[in-house]
Amino acid sequence: MKKFFLVAGVMFISWSSFAQKMISRDTYVHFYSATPVEDIEASLKDGIGLLNTVNNQFVFQLNIASFTFEKALMQEHFNENYMESSKYPKGIFKGTLAGNVDYNKAGRYSVTMKGQMTIHGRDREMAVPATVNVTREGLVEIESTFIVKPSDHDIVIPSLVANKIAKEIEVKVKSTLRAM
Amino acid sequence: MQCKWLMAIAMASAYSLYSFAQQDLLAELDAIAPPPAKTYVFATFKGTRIINQQSVELPASGVGQFVIGHRFGALNDQPLYNLFGLDVAQIRFEYSYSPKKWLNVGAGRSSGSKTYDGFAKVRFTRQSSGSGFNWPVTTAYYTNATIVTTPFSDGFDHYFTDRMAYSHQLLVARKFNESFSFQMAPTLVHFNLVQTATDKNDRWGIAFGGRYKLTQRMALTGEYMMRADPGAWENDPYSNALSIGVDIETGGHVFQFHLTNARSMADPQWMMQTPGQWGKGDVFLGFNITRVFTHVAPEL
Repeated sequence: MKKFFLVAGVMFISWSSFAQKMISRDTYVHFYSATPVEDIEASLKDGIGLLNTVNNQFVFQLNIASFTFEKALMQEHFNENYMESSKYPKGIFKGTLAGNVDYNKAGRYSVTMKGQMTIHGRDREMAVPATVNVTREGLVEIESTFIVKPSDHDIVIPSLVANKIAKEIEVKVKSTLRAM
Repeated sequence: MQCKWLMAIAMASAYSLYSFAQQDLLAELDAIAPPPAKTYVFATFKGTRIINQQSVELPASGVGQFVIGHRFGALNDQPLYNLFGLDVAQIRFEYSYSPKKWLNVGAGRSSGSKTYDGFAKVRFTRQSSGSGFNWPVTTAYYTNATIVTTPFSDGFDHYFTDRMAYSHQLLVARKFNESFSFQMAPTLVHFNLVQTATDKNDRWGIAFGGRYKLTQRMALTGEYMMRADPGAWENDPYSNALSIGVDIETGGHVFQFHLTNARSMADPQWMMQTPGQWGKGDVFLGFNITRVFTHVAPEL
C-alpha cells in the first residue's frame, strides 16, 4: 500500500509539472508583396499564440482586420474584396514544432513548424522553418519567415490588378511567449 | 498484483492528460483570449457620395479625396446633335480632407450657376457588432454652404448674402449585409433669398439612398429626394430628384455613372430646385470620379 501511494504521489507531482503552456498576446506579423509595379505591406501586433512546451504543439491566431496598411483604402479593399474578413475574420496556424528544444536551457534552436495554415477559410499543410530563442528569463521567442501563396487559399485576384500583387507573399512572424 | 493494476491505470490516465489534443489548444486559446470585443462595420457605401447626396462614409484619417463630377445636358434635348448632352455638360470638382477619422472638411465648385461651396461632415456613431452596446446604424451630420456667383438678372440691388444657401443633413445609414446598404437623411435647406415675400426660406425634406452590390467591385445605386411642403414657394416648377446609377471600383478610384433628373450638382440646387421630370424624359447622364491621396499614413 505504501508503495502504491508513493508511486501515485510521484505521478501526481510529475503530472502537474507536465502542463507548461506559454502564451503571447502581442505577436507581430508582417507581410510583404513585391512586384515591379507596386509594393504592398502591412502588419499587426495583436496576434495570439499558445505553445505547449511538453508536446511542442502550438496554435497561432490572428485577426485579419488588425492588419494596418499605410493606405487606408488598400486596407479596406484587402478586407472587403480579397480576404473577405467579415466572412473569415481569423488566420490560424496550428501544428507541432519539430526540433530538439530544451525549454529549460537558454539558447537558440532551429526548428520546423509543421501544421495546418487556415487563411480565407481554406486550409493548407505547411512546414515552415523557425528559430526558437529561449531566454535566460524563461521567455520563448519564436521568429519565422515564410511564403504564403494567395492562390493556395482561394484568394481571388482579378486580372486587372494581377501584376500589382505578388503570387508569393513573404510573411514574417515574431512572437514572445511567456509562461501562463 | 493490485499495485501493478493501479500503477497501470495511473500511468494511462496521466498519459491521456499528457497528450493535449490540437483542438483543446485551439479551444483553450479562444477561452483565454476571446475574439475582439467589437467589430465595426466598414464600407457601408463605396464612396462618400451615393449619387447626388452624401453618404455616411468619409475618407480615412489623414486622407484627402478629390472628386470630379460631370453632369451632361438633357437626353431629350437633341441627343445625337448634342451627343447626349456632352456639349452642355456641367462640371463640379471638390477636395476634402479628414483630419480625424470622424471629421471631413472640404470645398468645391460647381459650374451650374458658378457655385462655390464649403462643407463638413461629422460622423458620430458607427454601426458595430460584438460585445457591449452596438449602434444599429452609422450616423453623420453633413452641412454645406454655397455661394452663387453669377450676376443677378432681376434689376434689383442685392446684398452679397443673397447669393448664399445652406444645407444640413442628418445621414442615417445601415449596412444590412455585404450586398445591401440603405440610408435616410432628414434634410433642411435654407435659401437666404427667395422669390416672393411669402415664400419660405427654409425647405425640408427626406433623402433616401441605397446601394446593392452586384459583384465585389460593382454596385447598383439609387436615391430619391422627397421634398416636404411643396407649397412653400409660390412658383415651384421643380420635382423631387430621382437618380439611379452604377458604381465601379478599381484600385484607387471609384467611378460612378448615373441617370438623374437633377441638373445641378450643388447641394441646395439639386435638393430643392431640380427642374427635370422623368416622365418627360428630362434625364441627365452624369459620372463622378473619386481619387484618394494619403497625406498622413498610419505607422506600420
